[in-house]
Amino acid sequence: MNSVLFLMLRRLRRPLILIIVSFAISVIGLSLMPGVDDKDQLWHMSIFEAFYVISYTATTIGFGEIPYPFSQAQRLWMTFSIYFTVIPWFYAIGRIITLLQDPGLRLAMVTERFTNSVRSLQEPFYILCSYGESASLLAKALDEKDIRVVVIESQQDRINELELGNTYNVIPNLCADAKLPENLVRAGVHHPLCCGVVTLTDDDEVNLAVAVAVKLMNPSLPVLARAERDDIAANMASFGTDHIINPYTLFGDQLAMRVHALGTYILHEWLTDTPGDKLPPPEYPPLGRWVVCGYGRFGKSVVKNLEREHISTTIIEAAPELTGCNKCILGSGTEAKTLLEADINNAVGIVAGTDNDINNLSIVMTAFELNPKLFVVIRKNKHHNNALFKQFNADITMQPTDIIAHECLAHMISPLLAQFLELVRNQTNEWANQLISQLVSIVGESVPETWAVTINHANAPAVTELLNNGASVSLENLTQDPLNREQRLSLVPLMLSRNNQPLLVPDTSTKLMAGDCILFCGRPSAKSALPTLLNNTKILTYMINGVEIPDSLVWRWLKNWVN
Amino acid sequence: MNLEKVVFGFFIVLAMTLNFGFFIGDIDNPTHHHVYELYAAIIVSLIATVLKFGDRTHVGAILLSTSLAADLQLIAAAILWAALSGKMDESSLTVYIVSLSGGALMANFVSVILLISETISQRR
Repeated sequence: MNSVLFLMLRRLRRPLILIIVSFAISVIGLSLMPGVDDKDQLWHMSIFEAFYVISYTATTIGFGEIPYPFSQAQRLWMTFSIYFTVIPWFYAIGRIITLLQDPGLRLAMVTERFTNSVRSLQEPFYILCSYGESASLLAKALDEKDIRVVVIESQQDRINELELGNTYNVIPNLCADAKLPENLVRAGVHHPLCCGVVTLTDDDEVNLAVAVAVKLMNPSLPVLARAERDDIAANMASFGTDHIINPYTLFGDQLAMRVHALGTYILHEWLTDTPGDKLPPPEYPPLGRWVVCGYGRFGKSVVKNLEREHISTTIIEAAPELTGCNKCILGSGTEAKTLLEADINNAVGIVAGTDNDINNLSIVMTAFELNPKLFVVIRKNKHHNNALFKQFNADITMQPTDIIAHECLAHMISPLLAQFLELVRNQTNEWANQLISQLVSIVGESVPETWAVTINHANAPAVTELLNNGASVSLENLTQDPLNREQRLSLVPLMLSRNNQPLLVPDTSTKLMAGDCILFCGRPSAKSALPTLLNNTKILTYMINGVEIPDSLVWRWLKNWVN
Repeated sequence: MNLEKVVFGFFIVLAMTLNFGFFIGDIDNPTHHHVYELYAAIIVSLIATVLKFGDRTHVGAILLSTSLAADLQLIAAAILWAALSGKMDESSLTVYIVSLSGGALMANFVSVILLISETISQRR
């Protein structure tokens, strides 16, 4: 507020001096004018009385002639004073109002307010350097998970959208260019509680600029950046950007995962979605020959991953010399002729992956007429075409925004979750299916909460106290319901990390040790019940052996005495 | 020569001289201290304060704070005078008022010293 106050004071200099001078002259004149008191004696107003009268006159309140009726000379002076003081008074008020509406000053005030609200944040938070489609999804999911975010966005209409949205926590936001380092500093790059910067604009250059700036200003801060071009991604990797997110590569990966291990894919989606949502049952992509229309970044990634799963592909591309495609059918794929040339009747699936939504829809509609049994994968580029894609209802609609948001969440919720998902990919499909059925039986069908707990003095004082006393605490004790020790909380320990050695889905009889990190997944009610066990020694002891330890001095003494 | 600087210096020095004029004299003798002189000192001090608004330099900040200190004491003296005149012994009231204005004089004095030192350090 400091600079704004001084900016206002500087602009108000002239009206303030005018008011002081006009008041000074009016007050001194009024005190010099001869008056008559109630005993017909000559009487002069004191300076204080004169100041009082002028004050209520200048502000147009007008109490009348106090304390005695004015003499002719005093009335003459008052007439002059009224015009002399009221005009500067209104001038000053007018200036103040103009100043408050001044766009420059408003901007300064908004920026100042943003800086202050970021500075006063008391919880860990992430900086989002845009509020586009994927960033808004991400912000919503983080807000649901009670992780604070700060937003910088250069377009005012998106900021308005953010302000009108329903969030649990206040999201400080600023309409400014994230490329400017000063704005990053305002957003809290140097804040001790800042846990990372996420830059997801659709412009690779902007993401690169933000990543460079953050890595220079605060090298220890994790940076998640979106990059679609390979050269930019390589550039980002060269100075240590922690996670580079390429939606096309990710989609190719996920498609391969679906073909290869559907269970693993579902697990991945489930753990990184917004808590409370329900996931539609995913389709199993068929094995056989696929037709891929469009060999751009998306098409290349799809072809590469399908071929890795030993699925043969036929490529249709309109400009093969531009995309470096050496064995393909020439055409856009929107006409039946090109599709027939690609032998669409004997294919099992089609991928419409051009960067034009209308063309993509046209491709799949034509293909569908020729072969209604096709498995359809379609790429959606623009969010506003949502209604059209919903109408068509493809087997898989590739939405870059969703994929980016999920990937970011996996890294942001907890480093353990990212590690867990990485390990899950190496497991078999049967393993994943088994875990899913276990999770569904305990947690239910809707998306669960995922969170990590570290067994140390700060985060789990009760557990560390018991461990230090030589008692043994097993993982099972942390799954008992504090209200009834016979019952289980609806949560599942997904992974236990001890000395950086991960243990997938640990057995509940596992004994805990100080320094363990545990990744849990469960219902929100279980997440809120768990701290009771972690923090309260008495309840935890009761959970372990069903004995209530006496709390007060007298009872403890009595117990020792009885024994 | 810069008219703005002339006006600025004039008001700062005038605030001090008027303050000094009111302050000088026997501390408990009401006839040595005229009400209009205090009034003029307050007005000039207020104007000097407003003139100092918005200067972001370090010296500017200190100048503003000395001026605010002077205003505070002078206005306190005026309020005492308006509130207590006729209610207590005139010579002891005068002692209060004059000692407060003496404090303000110190602040004004610092202000003038700062002004002089800044002027001397000016190379152009």
